[in-house]
Amino acid sequence: MLDIKNIYKNFGDLHVLKGVSTHVEKGEVIVIIGVSGSGKSTLLRCMNLLEEPTFGEVWMEDRLMTPPDPYLHFDVIRASKTYQKLVESGLDDAEAIKKIKDEDLLKEKHPRTEGPEYAALLKKIYDENGIDINLGRQKMGMVFQNFNLFNNKTVLENITLAPVKIGKQRLKDAKKRGEASGKTPDDIVREANEKAMKLLTRIGLQDKANVYPSTLSGGQKQRVAIVRALAMEPDVMLFDEPTSALDPEMVGEVLDLIRDLVKDGMTSVIVTHEMGFAKEVADRVIFMHDGVIAEEGTPDEVFNHPKNPRCKEFLSKVLY
Amino acid sequence: MTFLTNIANILAKYWQVFLVQGIGYTLLLSVIAVAGGAFFGSLLALAKRSKLKILKAIVAIIVEVVRGTPVLLQLYIGVFVFPMIIPKLSSMPYIYSVSIVLIINSSAYVSEIIRSGIEAVDVGQMEAARSLGLTHSTAMISIILPQAVKNILPALGNEFIMVVKETSLASTFFVGELMTAYLKVKGYTYLTMECLAIVGVLYFTLTYILSKILKAFERRMKAHA
Repeated sequence: MLDIKNIYKNFGDLHVLKGVSTHVEKGEVIVIIGVSGSGKSTLLRCMNLLEEPTFGEVWMEDRLMTPPDPYLHFDVIRASKTYQKLVESGLDDAEAIKKIKDEDLLKEKHPRTEGPEYAALLKKIYDENGIDINLGRQKMGMVFQNFNLFNNKTVLENITLAPVKIGKQRLKDAKKRGEASGKTPDDIVREANEKAMKLLTRIGLQDKANVYPSTLSGGQKQRVAIVRALAMEPDVMLFDEPTSALDPEMVGEVLDLIRDLVKDGMTSVIVTHEMGFAKEVADRVIFMHDGVIAEEGTPDEVFNHPKNPRCKEFLSKVLY
Repeated sequence: MTFLTNIANILAKYWQVFLVQGIGYTLLLSVIAVAGGAFFGSLLALAKRSKLKILKAIVAIIVEVVRGTPVLLQLYIGVFVFPMIIPKLSSMPYIYSVSIVLIINSSAYVSEIIRSGIEAVDVGQMEAARSLGLTHSTAMISIILPQAVKNILPALGNEFIMVVKETSLASTFFVGELMTAYLKVKGYTYLTMECLAIVGVLYFTLTYILSKILKAFERRMKAHA
C-alpha cells in the first residue's frame, strides 16, 4: 500500500536518512524504534512528504507522490548522456550504472544536461504514475507529537475543516467536469458534522465539541488530533511519537485509542518510545540507527533475539 | 497665571487652526499612511515570502533602506528631489508627496510586522493542515492568517501611534498638521511656550485615546483565543 524506495534525506550537510526502503501492507502495523536522531521521525515525515526526500521515491497505493528518482529507473539512467559517455569509454552496462549510482553522477535537478531523451523519460514516468501530493496526503492521517490542533478553531471545527473544504472542492471539480452529484455543499457540512460528533462520542469528548483546544488536557488534545485525522478516512495512519509530549497519567488514554484503531484493522506506522506498547501492537518492528534500518522483524525477533549489536544495546537500555 | 490666560486666549482665537485643521490633517495623514502602509505592506510581506529570489531581494533592499534612513530625509527626497527628476511632479502639492512618502515608509515597517506575525504562528499548524491534504493557500487562509492577525493587529496599532507622531515631521513643509498649526500660531502671537503646551497636550491626548482603544481591542481578541 505504501512503498518507500531508497529514501535519502539531507538537511544541508547533515545526512539524516541514508537509503531507507520499506513496504507497508494493508492492515499491517509497523512500529519504528531507535535512539533520538536516528531518523525515525524524519522517515515518517518523508512518508507523507512533510519532508521532501532528497533522493528516493514514495509510492502511495501504486501512485508516485515524489518526483521520479532517476537512480531507481535503469531505463532513465541508460537514457542519460553520462551513461552514454561511460559506455563509449569502454564500461559495460552494469559497470556504468554502478559507477553512476555510486558516484552520484546524474544531477537530476538539471535534466537538460542529460539530454532531452532523459528528461522525456522522467516526465513520462511522472505523467503515468504521479499523483497530486494533496490527494496522496488525504489518504494518510498524521498524528504529531505536539498535537497541532488548530488553535483558532473549536474542537468540532478542527475535525470538520478538512472534510468540508476538500468535500466542497471535489464537488466543484465534479461540477466542472459536468458530472451530476446528488450532494449540495450543505449536505457535505451536515455529513461532516455528524461524522465528527460520532467520532467525538467514540472518544467520550462529545461535550467538548464547541470549546477551543486551549481548554483541553494533553491527552484530550491528542485524542482529538487522532480523530481529526480519522475524519478524512485515511488508508494509513502515521503516528509521530504520539505520547512523548504527554504527562504520564495521560499516556494510557491515547495508547488505548491507538490500540482500538489497530484492532479494527487500521494500517499504521508508529514511531514510539513505548516499548511495551510496540511489542503488543506491532506486526513488524523496525529499528533505525544512523539513518538506515539496522534491524527489522517481528516483535519477537527484534525484542527477544536482536542480531544487530546497536539494537541489542538500545534494547538493553530501554527494556528493564 | 498669565500662562493659562494666554493659552485660553490663544485657544479662543485660534482653536480652529489647532483642533480642526491641525488634528484633522494629522489624523488624515496618519490614516492614509497606515491604511496605505497596511495595503502595500501586505504586498511586500507576500513578496518577501515568495519563492522568487529576485523579488525577495528587491523587497529586502526597499525595507532595509526605508528602515535605515530617517523619515525626515525621506520626506526631503520625496518633496524636493523627485520633482527635480520628474518635472511633472513639481506642480504637485506638498501634502501629496508627503502622504506618498509616509505610505512608503509605513509599508516597510508594516511588511515586517506582517511577516513576523505570520512567522510567529507555530509551524506545526501548517504541517497539520497540509498533512490532512489541504492546499497551501487553504491552510494559509483558514488556519495561519487568522492566527497571525492576532499577532499583527496590536503591533499595527503601535505603528499607527508612531505614525501619528511622525507626521509632525511633515510640518517642515507646512502641510497643515498639528505641528504646522503650532508654527503658524506662534508666528501670529509670539507665545512659544503656550503654543507648545497646547500642541503637546493635543498629541498626547490623541495617542492616549488610540492606545486605550487598542488595549480594549486586544482584550477582546484575547477573550476569543
